[in-house]
Amino acid sequence: MTTVTASHDEHHHGPEKGLMRWVKTTNHKDIGTLYLWFAFVMLLIGGALAMGIRMELLQPGLQLMEPQFFNQLTTMHGLIMVFGAIMPAFVGLGNWLIPMMVGAPDMALPRMNNWSFWILPFAGGILLSTFFMEGGAPAFGWTFYAPLSTTFAPDSTDFFIFAVHLLGFSSIMGAINIIATVLNMRAPDMKLMDMPLFVWTWLITSFLLIGAMPVLAGAVTMMLTDRNFGTAFFDATGGGDPVMFQHIFWFFGHPEVYIMILPAFGVVSHIIPTFARKPLFGYSSMVYATASIAFLSYIVWAHHMFLTGMPVAGELYFMYATMLIAVPTGVKVFNWVSTMWRGSMTFETPMLWAISFVFLFTIGGFSGLMLGIAPADIQYHDTYFVVAHFHYVLVTGALWAIIAATFYWLPKWTGKMYNEGLAKVHFWWAVISVNVLFFPQHFLGLAGMPRRIPDYALQFADFNFISSIGGFAFGASFILFTYIIVDCIRNGKPATARPWEGAKGLEWTLAAKAEYHSFNTPPSKELIKSESQHS
Amino acid sequence: MSSVIIIVIIVGILLALGSGLLGLLRGGSAGSDKMFRSLVIRVALSLFLFGVLMLSGYMGWIEPNVVVMDATIAK
Amino acid sequence: MSEKEYYIPNGTYWPIIGSVGISTLLVGFANQMHGASWGASVMALGFAITVFMLFGWLGQVVSESVNGQYNQQVDRSFRWGMSWFIFSEVMFFAAFFGALFYARALSVPWLGGADNNLFTPELWNGFSATWQQIAFTTPGTTLQSGTAISIPTKLVDATGLPALNTILLLLSGVTLTFSHHALRSSKRNQVIGWLIATIALGSAFLGFQVAEYGHAYADGLKLTSGIYGSTFYMLTGFHGFHVTLGAIMLTVILFRVQKGHFTADNHFAFEGVAWYWHFVDVVWLGLFVFVYWV
Repeated sequence: MTTVTASHDEHHHGPEKGLMRWVKTTNHKDIGTLYLWFAFVMLLIGGALAMGIRMELLQPGLQLMEPQFFNQLTTMHGLIMVFGAIMPAFVGLGNWLIPMMVGAPDMALPRMNNWSFWILPFAGGILLSTFFMEGGAPAFGWTFYAPLSTTFAPDSTDFFIFAVHLLGFSSIMGAINIIATVLNMRAPDMKLMDMPLFVWTWLITSFLLIGAMPVLAGAVTMMLTDRNFGTAFFDATGGGDPVMFQHIFWFFGHPEVYIMILPAFGVVSHIIPTFARKPLFGYSSMVYATASIAFLSYIVWAHHMFLTGMPVAGELYFMYATMLIAVPTGVKVFNWVSTMWRGSMTFETPMLWAISFVFLFTIGGFSGLMLGIAPADIQYHDTYFVVAHFHYVLVTGALWAIIAATFYWLPKWTGKMYNEGLAKVHFWWAVISVNVLFFPQHFLGLAGMPRRIPDYALQFADFNFISSIGGFAFGASFILFTYIIVDCIRNGKPATARPWEGAKGLEWTLAAKAEYHSFNTPPSKELIKSESQHS
Repeated sequence: MSSVIIIVIIVGILLALGSGLLGLLRGGSAGSDKMFRSLVIRVALSLFLFGVLMLSGYMGWIEPNVVVMDATIAK
Repeated sequence: MSEKEYYIPNGTYWPIIGSVGISTLLVGFANQMHGASWGASVMALGFAITVFMLFGWLGQVVSESVNGQYNQQVDRSFRWGMSWFIFSEVMFFAAFFGALFYARALSVPWLGGADNNLFTPELWNGFSATWQQIAFTTPGTTLQSGTAISIPTKLVDATGLPALNTILLLLSGVTLTFSHHALRSSKRNQVIGWLIATIALGSAFLGFQVAEYGHAYADGLKLTSGIYGSTFYMLTGFHGFHVTLGAIMLTVILFRVQKGHFTADNHFAFEGVAWYWHFVDVVWLGLFVFVYWV
């Protein structure tokens, strides 16, 4: 088989010249790169907002800003990190890696792939522009509960709504593309159960995206009409119900949580076997666990709403269903640990990130179980305990996996090695500071400090001070991270085609820096077998 | 009773429509046949549902949605 | 193109044009809602760019398809893409149906004092939790946004225009099936005839739907009539929008049939649009049962 482009033969050999290459590109590697840089820029912007939050919380009392502006910071920090940083970063990883991992030359629908990306800068621009509008940016929290987001919100909320529409559109197209790629472009000799786990987790994530994002679009559309056209979806005076907003939002929101963590599971399932030099323990149970988590994620949404008024039967159902998720998640953690057991382990940077992912994500998972117990949640709800919980799963979970993946596959993307010594310094710097940042927040929450406040009672001062110091240190670690990446791209030593001796996977059979068009001919059955995760 | 029948027919229609989508997905002559057959079933079921609705409405087995849900008024 | 080759399309400017168009449309819309005098014109500009993009992009795809540049694998990718796109539409409608069921079965009865929600009469004196006619005995009650609630004087009559419209749309499903059958037996004239009938029935549906809105509006059923008005107009409105889209797509298909783009074995675009039309038809049945009847 050979690759044929639509009309021009010169596309065969390499990218187009000039800036327009990036605008017109249909190449999955170009688009993956665009996604990753976009996500990185948004990560820095969202991180800057978080620095503002921690500066205000460094000491009790109103130090730097009006409470209204503080609320804008927390809201936009959450929205930018979820929709601008974590999700695009995983789509970028998926774009770069999935075609190489399934032995395909590109994504199934390359032009649509280009559009999925090129919507993002516009949506991100509209979202960020709300800071400069009259009345300021949205200030109702990233969950935008009605009526805060309908009756009592600034005008800029309508721009936020349209930004969410665009981001959702982009995510749906990205998900459709990944499904079509995995199911239709996979090398003819690769069976579903031969696929690497990153491909599996992304395939399942795509179904979550297609099921959940349109519901979010429906929710913000109802907000839009409630705000501007006099409908009463979330207004009890007209027979609607603000609690209905929360049901619709969390029907999206809970799958969304797994949209951000399932690909992370996939990444870790690649890195741990590589550096333990053993096949992944329990490959098929990993696949089934991922599918079970995805299914369960659709039927547990109201555990975010134990305090908003639900019949007791509802509370019980959602509590038990939530507890069930611990089972497949436990299977995964067990498998990662079992993969390492008696392995010939070495601790290169990606492995350090992956192992700390297992530890820290498990902490976040357990605090999630605590929150899932309806009677206990009455105590924890809307406190800093919740903040600590979801930062442990999102920062030391999702973001950790993204950073791990970056170091792990950077040689394949650039053909060069990063500075291992500096990267290890960066790891220890980040992993210590992130715990200084988030661990005290558990105690703050248990002691009763509510989330989303710019000022707090004096007894919370010490832990907040510690947390803020950790926050500044963690924020600064990204300066070093940026340096390591740029240094690798510009001055890195040449890497070999398989820089990690234990690494399995079709992507490592390509050149040190993967060719612009890879797998123009599909890989052979023997190659697929010898590179699969269970051999 | 008629509302149960109505729901059952609706579920049947959705299943036929979904099976048509699977046919569309599969493509080729087998998929094309499957899609066409499913859509014929879905059209027939829809017409049947409409008949059932009209008949039940006419016979007074179901009434259009004019419901007072007010417990206080009911008292 | 041979089955032995992968196909990768060359780059185009259509995606970035689409992004510019949609963003312009939405920014114009937001400013229009906030009372900017230029909002509507910016909206129109964005809409024009978007339509230009759709015709340009799809036109290029059609011509590449007709030139035989695509193979079976590309065809399957399009099938996957179309199917899951429609599934995302199903979920979008599901959000609004969910709102309808939630309000109908839970929140409105609760507001009326069902279960243990005994406080309602204290909160809203004289509130009557009727499904279509949310009403207050205290005059001048407004929504939180300050909008006056419009209380309809008459109930929506399911046996009049809506029943007629249901018949029209169901018949359009029948004629489309005839057209589909004719295409599979390579009878082009019949394909065209039945397609025209389908488009005509769809357009008649839209016309009657506008008339129905006129009646409802005259009886005081508006977007501002509380939760029934909200769900009624949003569900039927989005449905009408999809019927419009479907009719436009059927028209495009009609022209392509006339140009002889399809064969009895290979007519994915026809199948995709046909399935879309059946889907829109089924959504209407759901609306007819749950919004008008039960």
